[in-house]
Amino acid sequence: MWQEYAIILVRGIGLGSVYALIAMSFNIVKVSSGILNFAQGNMFVLGGMMAYGFVAFFGQPSLGVWILLIPVAAIVIAVLLTIQGYLTMLPLSYSDDQQSWLITTMAVSIIIGAILLLVQGPNALMVRSIFANIPVFGMRVPAPFLMAIGLALFWYVVLQWFLSKTLTGLAISALWQDPVAGRAAGLKVRRLQLLAFGISGLIVGSAGFVSAPIITLASDSAVAYVLNGFVALVIGGVASNTGALIAGPLVGVAAMLATFKLGGEFQGLVSMLILVTILLIRPEGIFGSTAARRV
Amino acid sequence: MNAKVSTSGDIAAAALAPSGRALPLLDRSARIQLVIGILILVVATIVPSALGQAYWIGIVNLAIIYVVASIFMGLLLVDAGQVSFGHGAVFGAAAYAVGIACGMHGLSFPVGIVFGVLAALVIGVLFALPALRVQWFYLGFVTLSAAMVFPQMLFAFNTLTNGINGISIPLPQLNAPILFGLSALSIMTLVLGIAAIATSAIFPKTLLGRRMRVASASPEAAQSLGISPGRMRFIAFMIASFGTGLAGVLYPPTVGFVSPNAFHLDMSILFFFAVIVGGKGQPLGTIAGVTLLYLLPNVFLAQLIEYRPLVYGTVAFLVMLLMPAGIVGGVVRWLTLRQKPQRMPALQFGHIVDSAQVSLPRPEGNAIEIKDVRKAFGSVVAINNVTLTVRRGEIHGLVGANGSGKTSLLNVLNGFSASDAGTVKVNGRDVTSLRAREVAKLGVGRTFQTPRIFEQLSAWDNVQIGLDAKLSSNPTLVSEHFVGSLRDILGPLRTESIPHGQRRLLEVIRVILTDADILLLDEPAAGLSPEERLAFAALLRDLRDKLGLTIIFVEHDLDLVARVADRVTVLESGTVIASGDVASVWNDPKVKPLFVSVRHA
Amino acid sequence: MLEISGLCAGYGKLPVLRDVSFSAAAGEIVLIAGENGAGKTTLLQTIGGLIKPTAGSVRFMGQDVTGAIPEDLVPRGLRLVLDGHRVFPELSVFDNIRLGALASKTDKGAFDAAVDQIFEVFPILKQKARDKARSLSGGQQQMLTLSQAFVAQPKVLLCDEPSLGLAIALMPPIMEFLRSWAKNGTAVVIVEQHVDLALAVADRAMLMQRGSIAFNGTAEEFRAGPVQTGQ
Repeated sequence: MWQEYAIILVRGIGLGSVYALIAMSFNIVKVSSGILNFAQGNMFVLGGMMAYGFVAFFGQPSLGVWILLIPVAAIVIAVLLTIQGYLTMLPLSYSDDQQSWLITTMAVSIIIGAILLLVQGPNALMVRSIFANIPVFGMRVPAPFLMAIGLALFWYVVLQWFLSKTLTGLAISALWQDPVAGRAAGLKVRRLQLLAFGISGLIVGSAGFVSAPIITLASDSAVAYVLNGFVALVIGGVASNTGALIAGPLVGVAAMLATFKLGGEFQGLVSMLILVTILLIRPEGIFGSTAARRV
Repeated sequence: MNAKVSTSGDIAAAALAPSGRALPLLDRSARIQLVIGILILVVATIVPSALGQAYWIGIVNLAIIYVVASIFMGLLLVDAGQVSFGHGAVFGAAAYAVGIACGMHGLSFPVGIVFGVLAALVIGVLFALPALRVQWFYLGFVTLSAAMVFPQMLFAFNTLTNGINGISIPLPQLNAPILFGLSALSIMTLVLGIAAIATSAIFPKTLLGRRMRVASASPEAAQSLGISPGRMRFIAFMIASFGTGLAGVLYPPTVGFVSPNAFHLDMSILFFFAVIVGGKGQPLGTIAGVTLLYLLPNVFLAQLIEYRPLVYGTVAFLVMLLMPAGIVGGVVRWLTLRQKPQRMPALQFGHIVDSAQVSLPRPEGNAIEIKDVRKAFGSVVAINNVTLTVRRGEIHGLVGANGSGKTSLLNVLNGFSASDAGTVKVNGRDVTSLRAREVAKLGVGRTFQTPRIFEQLSAWDNVQIGLDAKLSSNPTLVSEHFVGSLRDILGPLRTESIPHGQRRLLEVIRVILTDADILLLDEPAAGLSPEERLAFAALLRDLRDKLGLTIIFVEHDLDLVARVADRVTVLESGTVIASGDVASVWNDPKVKPLFVSVRHA
Repeated sequence: MLEISGLCAGYGKLPVLRDVSFSAAAGEIVLIAGENGAGKTTLLQTIGGLIKPTAGSVRFMGQDVTGAIPEDLVPRGLRLVLDGHRVFPELSVFDNIRLGALASKTDKGAFDAAVDQIFEVFPILKQKARDKARSLSGGQQQMLTLSQAFVAQPKVLLCDEPSLGLAIALMPPIMEFLRSWAKNGTAVVIVEQHVDLALAVADRAMLMQRGSIAFNGTAEEFRAGPVQTGQ
């Protein structure tokens, strides 16, 4: 009995770390440009697809190659996201309508999903982990669950350092607090925002690659990751990476519990109910200071 | 249709002001779009039926149903400012309710319609509740997740819904031709389509539509006019769900079948994109959007079904990059850019009150009593223990440097921000804990430092929202002649052509027309020329003497203050440093050094 | 140092600035006075690169910089300080100051010296260096925004209403700071409603009315009363 809960807990935290990573990648774009990039979910899936693609063409990689491939996947996705960020911000510089990003990021997400559908059809892809299952509490847990946790911790530490200790990171985290003051201070606003898009790509690219064996790699699976990442973001509080790191696993465990106890079709419902509840009770999230509420 | 609408509009307008020329209900662009839109719907419905092309009848009917759903989603987005990515769930709930009622339980279609609309309204209520709390993309994500969960629930409750097998709904009698070769279904679809497009054109011009747009553009301004933004949102969700529900109930007979896979997130996204791609707020917009995103890909890519999402993602993306106002919106904007710039004639206030109107005796008592009020934002203290009394029927000047707390004081006074300590009374009634909307309804009208003139409303509608609101039981004393001549000036004017200085004056006129008996005016004279200032001073005196109003106004021009104010209060960094009649305040040694400066300006 | 000629600008189709010309020399403090809505803020923002001019030119150190954006102007030494003591509220006081030096690429030595100078003039900022900027009072935030500009070591400082929202008693040290700043060769253009406060430190003064310069002269001439040239 307790073993079942232990499995739920470990897998939930592992999957939740993926949500935490997506939430952190939302955060860095959000604090620099106010944009919540909907396409992040499909970029994440693309990262996982790269793991699949490599195995399909070259066979299972050795450990050394696999480790080298993580930054490759991260950088490819980062480049894609930087291009997307550039296109997304184009209309923002000449149009009065500052909400166009809501549509363009969603459109990009749909385009990526559509291309994936054309290239590999409607079925989900399976990626086999190169690692053996790891014993935890006497059970065997697929290694990627644990590696997702490690990756979330890694990016958390890197982001906290970058955003608070380096001048560039400081500027990125300051931009959307007062964009006009940022411009007046001579900050290279667009370039910093593009950098933030790129960094968000490093995060989701590496996350997708590392967690490929435990996530659903399909043309239509991205929305679920976007939503769960968003739920983690809202619970943790927008702009708070600490919040995201804690909230992600909470969402993951809740989703696992729902899957095991109620059935997979209720997982989305549970996430939605968590989202609505937190927005109704504490819109600014647990660690956030800026409220979602606008009256 | 169009002619009838205009006439009823004429009557309504004429009833307000016998002296002025009546305005047409719809502007030219909306009128033309409405006519074209109805023609398109009629032709598209009749031609395939006349030719007996079953494929085309089906696809056109479905396209019109989607147009209807998109129009109501657009109403939610444009008129009420609510982002819903989950409108497909509202539509799907209605369709499934019909499926369950008619397909599984054999009830008649009219009964199915009732169930369908009710189901849509239930989902609408579920969407409206978070909308009272959160806005913008947060709301978008909540509704998006609802749209994602909806088909999962259809699977989960398969005993109720038949799960993955779906429900077939054979309603052959609806598809049989009954009139000019048109089936009952085609007729219903056409009528609903015409009603929807007419609604999208006319709704912004109704009282409710105007209020909704104000609430969406500026919740503060809405509250100051006694409008509840929350109620407006709720009503918007109800209207949108009702309309979408009607569209949804026509889906099962058109397609003959409902299954969970038909109501995926894609449908919600289609509705949303149709509005954006076509052009927000353009009656023809959704027709253009659905044609481009649904109809054309379906006809030309019928064999290449898997390319459709690619087409519509790409179309939406390119339109946003190249024509941010949407296709129809872009055309309309291009046409307006070619119009000549307009000049607004100067406003004349001489006739605001009938000349026959005798001066009222000045009312007794205090209009406003502020006691020990304090307000801090974080560690910045905006108002520091202010005590201030304004007598009824007086003009009270509020002066002080920028940032000295004048606007913050007005905000506490009319309920926009809750004070940290102290009490505020209006006409003897304690309003400290009341909300802005409730304070407004006690007869307190106000204007804003940055004028709240809304480009979402026509020039005249910007003033009419004042007439719409009735903030006190005072009889309307503003002359009909004045209102009529104002309508003549503003009727043909585009809102963006109103110069900044005049915007403040229009906002002042707006609150006067609410019949409020206390006016809070925030820098009403900024940007006026010396001559206009003289006229404005005369207006303020008329409002006091002939309408018996109490006026508090924030002003930097001390000459203007000296000319009209009965009493003055001087603020400095949140504290009252002097208050009393103009002469004594001006000579106060504490005040003098503050204003040597401003006199130069 | 700074020469403005025939500058016009506006929002959309509504013109705000009409044919504004003036200049500011190194070490000089120029006051721009005028009522709300006269175009003072628009003028500063147009020079500072936030608003694109529709006509006219801005020359800075002999070079034409018309239409250049702040990220080009700040490294060259032209820095605008917005009104309303705008800081990055969620960053610490010291991080706010550090960010000021990012665009100008001030070297470490100059930055440290500038920070020492700031902490000497505004000791409260040293005390609160690790606190979030939103916990500062309005006056302290104004000190912080000026400090943020100071570490960039600009040659021209455009300062929009430093007194906005502040008690007048807080202003003399801030004005004094600007004066000492100018003494080191910076041209300071300041928009200020408390003309007396600003005149105490200004060398020259201008009056703006409805988008144009209605008076331009020395501080003494201005004090004597430009009113006759006005309304």
